[in-house]
Amino acid sequence: MRRLLSSIYKEFLVLIRDRAGLAILFIMPLVLILIMTVIQDATFKTVKEVDISMILVNNDKDNLGEAISKGLYSSNFFKIVEEIDGVKITEELAEELVAKGEYKIGIIIPERATEAIRGNVNALINKSFKSFNIPGVKKRTKKSTIDVTIYIDPVTSPSFRNMVMSSLKEFTSQLEIEMFFKNFSEALTQLMPDQKPIKFESFETIKYQEINASTTGVTKLPNSVQHNVPAWTMFAMFFIVLPMAGNIIKEREDGSAFRLKTMPGSFVTVMFSKIFVFLGVAFLQFILMLLVGVYIMPLLGLPQLEIGPHKIALAVMALASGLAATGYGVAIGTIATTHEQAATFGAVSIIIFAALGGIWVPVYIMPPAMRILSQFSPLQWGLNGFYDILLRGGDLFVVLAETGKLLFFFILMLIIAIVYNNYNKTK
Amino acid sequence: MQENQHIIELKYLTKYYKGSNIPAIDNISLNIDKGEIYGLLGPNGAGKTTTISILCGLFGPTSGNVFIDGLEYKHSSEKIKNIIGVVPQEIALYPSLTAKENLNFFGHMYGLKGKQLKNRIDECLELFGLEKNANRRIKTFSGGMKRRINIIAGILHKPKILYLDEPTVGVDVQSRNVILDHLRDLNRDGTTIIYTSHYMEEAENLCSRVAIIDMGKIITEGKPKELINSKEEYSDLESIFLNITGRALRDE
Repeated sequence: MRRLLSSIYKEFLVLIRDRAGLAILFIMPLVLILIMTVIQDATFKTVKEVDISMILVNNDKDNLGEAISKGLYSSNFFKIVEEIDGVKITEELAEELVAKGEYKIGIIIPERATEAIRGNVNALINKSFKSFNIPGVKKRTKKSTIDVTIYIDPVTSPSFRNMVMSSLKEFTSQLEIEMFFKNFSEALTQLMPDQKPIKFESFETIKYQEINASTTGVTKLPNSVQHNVPAWTMFAMFFIVLPMAGNIIKEREDGSAFRLKTMPGSFVTVMFSKIFVFLGVAFLQFILMLLVGVYIMPLLGLPQLEIGPHKIALAVMALASGLAATGYGVAIGTIATTHEQAATFGAVSIIIFAALGGIWVPVYIMPPAMRILSQFSPLQWGLNGFYDILLRGGDLFVVLAETGKLLFFFILMLIIAIVYNNYNKTK
Repeated sequence: MQENQHIIELKYLTKYYKGSNIPAIDNISLNIDKGEIYGLLGPNGAGKTTTISILCGLFGPTSGNVFIDGLEYKHSSEKIKNIIGVVPQEIALYPSLTAKENLNFFGHMYGLKGKQLKNRIDECLELFGLEKNANRRIKTFSGGMKRRINIIAGILHKPKILYLDEPTVGVDVQSRNVILDHLRDLNRDGTTIIYTSHYMEEAENLCSRVAIIDMGKIITEGKPKELINSKEEYSDLESIFLNITGRALRDE
């Protein structure tokens, strides 16, 4: 025990005397979490906060053009641009500007589009009332197609394109319905002149109510910070692998490891002392990142992180994640022979773990094979655990499975390190 | 436990590193008695470091046996590690820690504690003329000072056997004299010393016996004076060394 305490004290001294390393250990994760949360916040924000410039060339000047224009302006999704320096944008210019990437999207509503819709609606009504021969209704039966052209910058994401398309479809179908009912009403009035004209009013018959599905009574929908802080905290905590592996390799390079190996009971003692100290660092990083979520992020206009009532569960998850990360650091530091190997393998493998773990793309939208692979990522276990606590309101009992997996990973990594160390003795 | 008057016994020791079909040491047998200062001499790549590494328990031989004070690593690794001290060729210390902090750590690892450890650190620092620099960080030390602390870290627990790998390499004459004087003192106090060096004159003056190793084999072994007197053309240990191992340059 005295050996372990002395070794922990030595590791602590080595760590705190490396001021630059210490600053990197604490400042970089905070910078990472702030930047990533601010960037990713846009995907969670309400639309009025997003400022995407869009060109609208309205050649219709009638109901359709008006409906689309009104819909786009009132949606607050976009910053609508119809003219530049007082000159109305033409279709050619719109295409050019979008092609250059100056605008993400350009919508061209063709001339006489409303007239065409009106004709189509009438054709439908005519077909319905064919046998009645209503005098006021035009005898047009032929349908025509309206081509609303949408120029899209290739860099825009498919989800953004889908959002624009569904918005446009919503505006136009609303207009079609309104026109249909208006003309239908007129036709009926023609058919039954003694009756009071039927007035069709559009109203919402279905209301959508978003409720957070929860088994714990938490019904509030999570905000972007609630999603992003645990994700990027897990990612940052795993980067403890790099300084830890570096510390082990440095000890080997400067000969201290040689001396330590000739001392009684040293390998496990030395490794546990490193784990203890770096686990402390990881836990401190975790607390700092939570504090940033609670106190700093609101200052940047982001929502505040709500830690919730299950602080012990959160601490246990953080310790389990920290142990998994430090165990991984011990394994890489033991097996890698150079700093370059450890840094490259360590960093890339963490990014792979993070990608599989759903840090960037949620696991549920991954292809089936990737979804199976993601089950083997310690970052996925950690992230799930943090989501259970911070988004689903889960307690310690809820995260036992994830904690167990992380501890299993930690033990597995230690076994790999010890086996490799013993194997090295037979070389 | 093997009943034996030799503190170190190597029996038919052979070591092949994985992937190599040339033995690093080839069927070496030697005995070192308690209280000796035994020199392992040889050109680069001769097998000295491999032999010392096996003696320290860093790895085992491919075949053969090693007995340290009658014990074998495979059965009594922890017991052996408690009675040996090792001074590696590299400055195996933590540069950001002070001399005292380094020695405190290594002392604890050897099982020393409290006042006993504190007194031993003070005693060693004084012996090696470093008491005034006890609280300075190692990275601020000169080469000779680092070498001296490197040795202290290996002798804090008063080992029965001390392995030294090139303990005086790259140090000035003053530091070398201090180091060699204290090695003699340690030996007088009962520590058996096994030591490798490229400095033949140093080995001649310090060692009770030497073995010259080349290509993994012991070429000759004996007391320096007896070896020098064995042939007329030998004037000193260096002439024997060059005569046996040749004048061609050796790579690691």
